Amino acid sequence: MLDILIAIIDFPATKWLLLIMGLVMPLASILTWMERRQSAMMQDRLGPNRANIGPIKLKGILHFIADAVKMIFKEDFIPANVHKGLFALAPVLALAPVLIAFAIIPFGPTIYPHSLTSTIDTYALATAPGSYAFADSIRLQIFSIDFGLIFYFAVLTLANYGGTIAGWASYNKWALLGGLRSSSQMMSYEVAMGLALMGVFLWTGTLEPGAIALHGASATMSPSNPLNWMWLWQPVGLVLFFTAAIAETKRAPFDIPEGEPEIIGYFVEYSGIRWGMFFLAEFIEIVFVSAVIATIFFGGWQLPFLDADGFRIGGYIDQVTHMSVGGTVLHLPHLVVVLLQAGAFAGKVVLLSMFQLFIRWTLPHMRADQLMNLGWKWLLPLTLANIMVTALIRLLFL
Amino acid sequence: MSSHQEAAPSHDGPKVLAVSERSPRVRSIAVVRPGEPDVNYLAATAKGLAITLKHFARNFFLPMKSADERAKPGAPVDETWKNEIETVQYPEEKVTYPERFRGLHRLMLRDDGAVRCVACMCCPTACPAHCITIVPEESDSLRIEKRPAIFEIDELRCIACGLCVEACPCDAIRMDTGEHAKPVEDRARSIETKETMMARGIQSVATQGGEGPNWRETATPPSK
Repeated sequence: MLDILIAIIDFPATKWLLLIMGLVMPLASILTWMERRQSAMMQDRLGPNRANIGPIKLKGILHFIADAVKMIFKEDFIPANVHKGLFALAPVLALAPVLIAFAIIPFGPTIYPHSLTSTIDTYALATAPGSYAFADSIRLQIFSIDFGLIFYFAVLTLANYGGTIAGWASYNKWALLGGLRSSSQMMSYEVAMGLALMGVFLWTGTLEPGAIALHGASATMSPSNPLNWMWLWQPVGLVLFFTAAIAETKRAPFDIPEGEPEIIGYFVEYSGIRWGMFFLAEFIEIVFVSAVIATIFFGGWQLPFLDADGFRIGGYIDQVTHMSVGGTVLHLPHLVVVLLQAGAFAGKVVLLSMFQLFIRWTLPHMRADQLMNLGWKWLLPLTLANIMVTALIRLLFL
Repeated sequence: MSSHQEAAPSHDGPKVLAVSERSPRVRSIAVVRPGEPDVNYLAATAKGLAITLKHFARNFFLPMKSADERAKPGAPVDETWKNEIETVQYPEEKVTYPERFRGLHRLMLRDDGAVRCVACMCCPTACPAHCITIVPEESDSLRIEKRPAIFEIDELRCIACGLCVEACPCDAIRMDTGEHAKPVEDRARSIETKETMMARGIQSVATQGGEGPNWRETATPPSK
């Protein structure tokens, strides 16, 4: 019975559902409300706080349900002369790749179902991984593949087609202009985004997000030590990647493809839930960018100083088992550790999403030429310089 | 209030390159366009984030000002531990209107509760929107000739100019209720009748039509 349960949970589709339905969709939906509420607070307003089910008000958090109901029941209007097939396909093309890309994100530690209630014996885990306590394991990552980050870039490039095809299929000059801007922006910033992560690759020697999160910058420090996370060792890479990733989400200050003041953008002809899919895709991209940055630069699912067997201050890495030992330890059951670490991941994602909202509501939007200048004349050379400097440091000092 | 008053930058006007001989007002000037970015983007971003974060934290953690302080612009505020949100949550909280705000009409009452209006037709005559309908009838009182049988105001046509109040010789119609015209689903329901306007009415202290001290008695008799 337990075996069947483990097999079901260990199935990729189950884990995908767990991640998407448990974290991504709720967070992305609530972000639509949080964005309006947070921006209101930043501008000395109150923001939406009225939606309620009877007396349940929750500060207006139910607005996302009201929005969804409104969008679903709106008239599904398709203008004349649009290419009907591509018009219907474009929102799917915008939404699906982001959901697929979550496959590479590790959203929790490896679970050993047979030792949930006991503290993990790290020495036994390293020396006898086949024993009963560790015989079954559930890895909270859908696909652990060596080319994880490449997969991410490849799949997110597909999301580009959503905007471009929407602009083309709409039979509207503004939409076409928005679609073209979308593709040019995505192409420009994808270069910088990919190269910004190459510094991390040089440090860790892997493109697998789970391995980057788990091993950190140095093998002599515990992976749960915040000083071991990549934000300290790749600060330039972090800023550059964050900038390029915000540009990829097509939001202010890089909202040229949507450009509300000038051209409305590639989804100008969309309404109802079709538009809602573009909107949701944008917010899921925010969550995804936050998840990637949390995984690569902020230790992924690691809570500071929480090792597999509990909180540890001090201690060192055993060179044989590659586990941290010694120090002052507060032992915790495996289940508690797993919950804490999965919660840490969710918390990091929420905080980084909020930070993206802060940036979106602080900076003014850029002109198209300023956008291209920043992308090609600043970000790209800086990423290349970052790679050079990182390589030199690795070569000379480590 | 944390409004930052900054001195306006000294402005000497654009640099004039050439002036037309025929009409000196036609000039060509040097247009200054922003060149290469001269700001440090990262520092400027950090500064901006600090400002927005300060506002967010303040508004998120500190309690709101009281409804009165928000509703009355310029009211003294104890700002120390209050946030800066000024939103008045309308149906529950209302802004205090100025005293002379012209709201929904009301018909004033006599001491015995009867309508004060004598159907003199001054207000429909003065009304520029033609929104007042009065059908007069004979009054029961011997001292008052007429009263309105029907007194209706179409609040959709009313432009809230207040001329009816100015025109009224006996303080029978007022607009000092401080209420808005309510939203309706049917135009017919926007018509205020005599009864609804009398329901808002109060007794007037003004003298009228021989009730109370009469001006003929109190005034000095004209000298012959």
